[in-house]
Amino acid sequence: MTRPGPKEVKAMTDVAGVPADKEVAERIATSIGPAFDGFAAVAGTLPFDLEPASFLLVQTAKVSK
Amino acid sequence: MSLVSVAKAIADKKLSSREVTQSCLDRIAQWQPRVNAFMAIEAEAALAAADAADAALAKGKNSGPLHGVPLAHKDMYYEAGKVVTCGSKIRRDFVATTTSTALQRLKDAGSIRLGSLQMVEFAYGPTGHNVHYGAVRNPWNVDHITGGSSSGSGSAVAARLTFAALGSDTGGSIRMPAHFCGVTGFKTTVGRVSRAGAMPLSQSLDTVGPLAQTVEDCALLLGLMAGADPEDPTASTLPVPDYVTATKGSLKGLKIGVPTAFYVDDLDSEVARVLDETIAVLKKEGAEIVKVELPDQRQLTAACQLVLATEATTFHKRWLIERPQDYGAQVLMRLQNGLAIPAVSYLEAMRWRGPALAAYFAAVTGTDAVIAPVAPMPAVTIAESDVGNSLDAEAVIQRITKFTRPVNYLGLPSLSIPAGFTKSGLPVGMQLIGRSFDEAGLLRIGAAFQRATDFHQRYPAWHE
Repeated sequence: MTRPGPKEVKAMTDVAGVPADKEVAERIATSIGPAFDGFAAVAGTLPFDLEPASFLLVQTAKVSK
Repeated sequence: MSLVSVAKAIADKKLSSREVTQSCLDRIAQWQPRVNAFMAIEAEAALAAADAADAALAKGKNSGPLHGVPLAHKDMYYEAGKVVTCGSKIRRDFVATTTSTALQRLKDAGSIRLGSLQMVEFAYGPTGHNVHYGAVRNPWNVDHITGGSSSGSGSAVAARLTFAALGSDTGGSIRMPAHFCGVTGFKTTVGRVSRAGAMPLSQSLDTVGPLAQTVEDCALLLGLMAGADPEDPTASTLPVPDYVTATKGSLKGLKIGVPTAFYVDDLDSEVARVLDETIAVLKKEGAEIVKVELPDQRQLTAACQLVLATEATTFHKRWLIERPQDYGAQVLMRLQNGLAIPAVSYLEAMRWRGPALAAYFAAVTGTDAVIAPVAPMPAVTIAESDVGNSLDAEAVIQRITKFTRPVNYLGLPSLSIPAGFTKSGLPVGMQLIGRSFDEAGLLRIGAAFQRATDFHQRYPAWHE
């Protein structure tokens, strides 16, 4: 997982329908970059059968100490 | 007086609701120009409601545990017929057509409305700045931030302008103002309290909870609000324990974990001191203190940011297209961040939540709670944290919220309790992080701590 640079951010905001100018794209890239870096070790490693709803199962299965 | 004690005094007819309400209004008139905690003050309507509550009580009609108690809440809880600004210019004139479930349940218990409380624009910011309505100020030192986004709730409870207030916590927005303002704040488990009629920020992370003077106050309010709600299918159907009874337990036999890393790294020296002192009190009161090695919390923080930014941006997309000029610069910047997160990254962050929670539970096996600072520092000044949409703004925000976001990502409950003061007189809070839906366990620990200390009873003095 690679953090998007200003150029990629510009393209993504265009596709999202809320275009950002160059300055805004640079600011977004700076702001959001650390989140991509922080999650990089997890990204692309999750098993095939993992459902997002597994969170609810873990949450309710662990009510007791 | 605490919420619990004033409610009892009204019920026992030792105080009238009018006397109590007038006393709040007098304090509001005194403090509001200094702290800017209220969005709207509804004095006339509050006194009329107080008179009605007194008249009902005289006829033997007590509507519930909050009969005649005046309260004010963060201005994001819809109440039919009332303007709910959400701290924004965009919703300056928005009149709600429904009433939020949490608010309705407190009204059904007899509480009356003092007005509404200030907040960060759309609840998206941790400091308490608001370019549309002005920064809320910390009553302990008005040059300092309250924390956000429940800024008015923290400031108003600390200055004793309301006996309690609803806040909301998506990335730390209850615990932060509780910590910076020296009050008790309770971030509940995701799903414990219905979010129907509460302004959304992130559907996966949003939680409703109280800020109040004491843990017992929070227990009373949570017991009234928690539980299933047909208006919110994400609200849990798990039974609601007797939270007030839970506050009576001692710490004997309980085990509290102290993280070996992350939450104890890079702390301001006074926050580190208060953490040590808090641990000492818990130990003295009978808890066993053990070290816990938690999974990498930085990954949780990052995942939280991916989820929160994407979901917030999605809620706001229409206004981002139609009314970008009506957002404050920092909130606009943060909403724009979500545009640059690919769907795959967002969904990976959502898929990882289950395994991440399981790994956390494995790390804290055998403990009843984990103790940690709410933030690495006490309240900074309003001036130094006024970073707007500068290039380093997100980094400043991330530093302030680094200890709260992992908890939001995992959806866990966390109770912030006043735990000490700095040499300059600013409050410092600590958070007790519990297991999913074990709010009762945290209330037990927090209440025992408050029986052994008096930090929660202190309030800021008025200086001319």
